[in-house]
Amino acid sequence: MGVKRMKELLEKLKEKKIKFEIREREEGVKKKGKRKTVLVYTPRENLRDIVKMLIETSEDFPHFSVCSFADYGDYVELNYHFSTGYGKPLQETNVILRVTLKKDDLRVPTLTDLVPATIFSEREIKEMTGIEIENIPDGRHMFLTKDFPDGVYPWRRDETAPKETRKMYEVWK
Amino acid sequence: MKYEIPIGPIHPALKEPILLQLTVEGEEIKDVDVIASQNHRGIEWIGMNRNNPVQSIYIAERICGICNISHPAAVILAVEEAMNMDVPDRAQYIRVIQCELERIHSHLLWAGVAAHEIGFDSLLHYTWKVREKVMDILELVNGNRVTKAIMMYGGVRRDIKKEHIPKIKKMLEYYKEGFDKLAKFFLEDKTIEMRTRNVGILTKEDALKLGAIGPTARASGVKKDVRQDQPYFAYPDFDVKAITPDMFTGEVVGDTYDRIVVRLLEVKQSVEIIERALDEMPSGDILAEPKLVKLLMDLKKAEGEGVGRHEAPRGEVIHYVKLKKDFEPFFSWKVRAPTYSNIMSWIPMLKGCQIADVPIVAASIDPCISCTNRVIRINNDGKREIIGGDELHRLSVKKTKRLLEGGS
Repeated sequence: MGVKRMKELLEKLKEKKIKFEIREREEGVKKKGKRKTVLVYTPRENLRDIVKMLIETSEDFPHFSVCSFADYGDYVELNYHFSTGYGKPLQETNVILRVTLKKDDLRVPTLTDLVPATIFSEREIKEMTGIEIENIPDGRHMFLTKDFPDGVYPWRRDETAPKETRKMYEVWK
Repeated sequence: MKYEIPIGPIHPALKEPILLQLTVEGEEIKDVDVIASQNHRGIEWIGMNRNNPVQSIYIAERICGICNISHPAAVILAVEEAMNMDVPDRAQYIRVIQCELERIHSHLLWAGVAAHEIGFDSLLHYTWKVREKVMDILELVNGNRVTKAIMMYGGVRRDIKKEHIPKIKKMLEYYKEGFDKLAKFFLEDKTIEMRTRNVGILTKEDALKLGAIGPTARASGVKKDVRQDQPYFAYPDFDVKAITPDMFTGEVVGDTYDRIVVRLLEVKQSVEIIERALDEMPSGDILAEPKLVKLLMDLKKAEGEGVGRHEAPRGEVIHYVKLKKDFEPFFSWKVRAPTYSNIMSWIPMLKGCQIADVPIVAASIDPCISCTNRVIRINNDGKREIIGGDELHRLSVKKTKRLLEGGS
């Protein structure tokens, strides 16, 4: 996305009264360049609309990288990492869509029909965090084995986190 | 009549665990399912629960032996953003040199594997002989061929000394002189062309939608390279341009042959970057905070988040790190290695291919399964019939012979 198209996206977000934050970090030694990140505080019900807006305002197609997750006790944060505007020097912007979910209502809609690349991450989020992905076309385990116990979520920091973890040398004993 | 053939969990193209479930009709592949959950090491979990952030650099280094600079590079970028840390100029240049050395050795390693997969073993041995030169330099500069422990928050741990520079330059000369020979072997050879032209095509649209990255995306005409789009370290100084196959052949097909073209041209590009970096490298410190205890204290006090994106040989590697005050390990750590995104491209690539093409097509994205899977567990599902690596390799070699004799 050129700078112009990025503005288009930000205008649209303002119109919808969705909060966002722009972060910049300078890189380079002799020639300076800026690494730009737009962090969008995305309400769950607007997630699919914002992704559609992102697709509309991208020149090619927004690149989806991965989902990340943080557990704060009462609530969790789910981040969708996108980037747009690649292909031209110094034009790329990271777009992070941050969805905050309450612990007793852990679900998000699937994005696989809009951005096919999200399927691996959605499967991973499902098994690692226990967040329900609504209408996910393929709900199998991604990285954990088929016999991994239900109700244990490795990325969580509460009672559902794995309990009996041993170091490798302890297993060998 | 349709048959299901599982390839893996041990093999397809590299000797790492992943399972490809193929639906075939005769020799032709109709459908593909990728099952990755064979071997997960839980590295993110260790970084989030057990290790302090400095230890996590070294465990990131062990995510993948080949990309042992790329993962630490991404994690330090993320943490430096989270802490808002400045890095000395000389360290930024050394990081660029280290990253490019890694690209040369990784692409040459891949080229050898690709030659092996189609049964061209003399070329494998030649390519790996050529690769030894860069490995010698890695050993000279870092004291180790693999897992070099060079990256650190706020700089690098070892300098490139004055006496190293003539030796590195000699190596660069060697690659410059040898490039044409290597390009001739790979790009003008009849056998390689027969086995790779129009095999495993990934269209530009598929590449975009499936989020393909690195040489896999560039071979399909997507001009995407983090070093160009969002440069970091000292990369803004070098004006890196994403390499697409039309620069060499005049067209973009998006097949396995194009992926060879892109990787070979990138070796040349890396040689040029290192050459410039050596000449322009400023002098000065290599670490922002040499006292490790102080650094650990700062890390513990820091609060913030960062995203580190680095163009590894296989594509963009991205690490997301969140630091929380008075919480020693990373509060959140997500590692996304390039193969994670590129595996999805296997499905459109393999559809319509023959079984004997699986090794070379699978290898063409340069998969690194250890990057994708991060936990140790053994799957005892022994009921499946498995086509092993040797058998697949034999099939592939047979196809090369058949093509040479005029078959299909």
